[in-house]
Amino acid sequence: MKRSTPWLFALPLLGMLAAMPWAQAWMTAHATPRLQVPEGWPVPRYDFAGNPVTSAGFALGRRLFYDPILSRDGSIACGSCHQQFAAFAHLDHRVSHGIGGVNGKRNTPGLFNLAWQPDLMWDGSVHHLELQPVAPMSNPVEMGGSLALAVDKLRRNARYPELFAQAFGSPGVDSQRLLRALAQFTGTLVSADSRYDRFVKGKEAFTPQERDGLDLFREHCASCHREPLFSDFSYRNNGLDAAPRDAGRAVVSGRDEDQGRFRVPSLRNIALTAPYMHDGRYDSLEQVLDHYSGGIQPSPTLDPSLAHGVPLSPDQRTALLAFLDTLTDESFVHDRRFAETHD
Amino acid sequence: MKNRMNLAARHLAAAWLLLLAGCGHGAAQNGLPLRIEISHVVGEAPLRLGDSYKTSAGDGWSAERLRYYLSNFRLRRADSTWFVNPQSADSSRGYFLVDEADAASKQFQIGPIPEGTYSGIEFLVGVDAARNSAGAQTGTLDPARGMFWTWNTGYIFFQFEGHSPQSSDAEHALTYHTGGGADSPARSVFLQFQTPVQVTAENSAELHLYADLSRLFDGAHALRPATLPTAMDPKAAAEVADNSAGLFRIDHIHKLPKAGLAQGQ
Repeated sequence: MKRSTPWLFALPLLGMLAAMPWAQAWMTAHATPRLQVPEGWPVPRYDFAGNPVTSAGFALGRRLFYDPILSRDGSIACGSCHQQFAAFAHLDHRVSHGIGGVNGKRNTPGLFNLAWQPDLMWDGSVHHLELQPVAPMSNPVEMGGSLALAVDKLRRNARYPELFAQAFGSPGVDSQRLLRALAQFTGTLVSADSRYDRFVKGKEAFTPQERDGLDLFREHCASCHREPLFSDFSYRNNGLDAAPRDAGRAVVSGRDEDQGRFRVPSLRNIALTAPYMHDGRYDSLEQVLDHYSGGIQPSPTLDPSLAHGVPLSPDQRTALLAFLDTLTDESFVHDRRFAETHD
Repeated sequence: MKNRMNLAARHLAAAWLLLLAGCGHGAAQNGLPLRIEISHVVGEAPLRLGDSYKTSAGDGWSAERLRYYLSNFRLRRADSTWFVNPQSADSSRGYFLVDEADAASKQFQIGPIPEGTYSGIEFLVGVDAARNSAGAQTGTLDPARGMFWTWNTGYIFFQFEGHSPQSSDAEHALTYHTGGGADSPARSVFLQFQTPVQVTAENSAELHLYADLSRLFDGAHALRPATLPTAMDPKAAAEVADNSAGLFRIDHIHKLPKAGLAQGQ
């Protein structure tokens, strides 16, 4: 009791320090995100019980995410194509260029709320959040290396062995720790603070136009882009091509009925993640609405709900676009905890 | 008074824990491991990587790489109950990666086996569905070992790579990989012991399994390199998976005294 007394005098001082703006900024930038389930959301698919988020683990995951050391020649990081200001999609890139400038074949998706996603990638080829990074790391048109190569480079690096030991409590760099650290970063990228979210909570009002847009969205789009995650995570052919140029889900499943089917993407942050569709063919949301209203191509695997398209009047289009803008989460894209640091 | 009760309760709890730990420890120590040795053969002759062989249909083939997972071992008792080989969620214990090019990988142990009489052995060629989708693993299940698919994440259960003059692929390559998700190509194999195996406190056994690669082509399905130079997608891999389960047979079993097991490790 006696020994702890002097510390009590320091407490008010600490409180004053913490109240200072620079201290608050420091804390916001350095605090460790934890996976908190927003009200009304389902139970996450990724269970952090087996990979508890720690401050050192999250910081290691963030560092790895932004470090090109994971690619074969040290030229491409996860963050090269997943940009925070674009909700971790790749702004203005139909497809992204990987190692040696080679183009990939599918559009870089945004990264947020991944802990709720049952399978990852456009075709659902990755079944576990921890294992997702193995795909881009070993894809010859992305990072062009391998998991084994990355582990080897990290082991020989001057800084990483110490950072791994801090994150996991004992020395050792292995693929499980690498993948779990990355999952601590990618799994806590939660975007749930858009104007839409505040509207649903009753904290903010929509304009009449935005309200109309929400009604239209719920009538025409929400069966696939299901709230609150804005996807039902099914695989569907949305009528881009009469003869799909990319087999999509069928590559994974081996089933003919999956030809040209792709995962329904979330519409959260949609205004930030142009271009659109699995191959990034549309540069604007106007073009996307053009497609749904009059450009649906029939094919054997076309989703039945789109057989007649989604015709919209000019006013309805404007309202729907206004609503889609409310899905932008400014606090997420400006969250300093998710930004590249140079410490 | 309360303190003394607490103390007594704590002592009792400690005693229980010791007893439980003792039992657990005893169980772990109880019984000897069973040793399994695998030989890859073609008919009766040892498989040699790079050598040329012929299927019954006259197609030529050679193997350059042969790797596969074996897991979920169980031993059947005379009374039809099973001893289930322990597997741990925290490690790859119980999951074996067999590699023709790595002699050490072709000899491993399961158990410890409780004393008893056993009439057969069952195992999975591949990795069970639960573990196949359980996230980043270590040891033999470390995805960095290269037995892991990224285009449809999950382990490669069975990997055969070689050549055939009849293959239309580049450089006449022959590539059979099974693995993946929804319709699991993991196959269960049960092998009956000719004579029951006794495991006692003093004696265990060594099972010598032969995996006959000629049966990869002349198995439940007749596979021909001309029509199937590559099998990777779930549909094509199903037939390879069926045939991979038919490779195994017990060549012989011999008694292994406790002393011999200790030496072997």
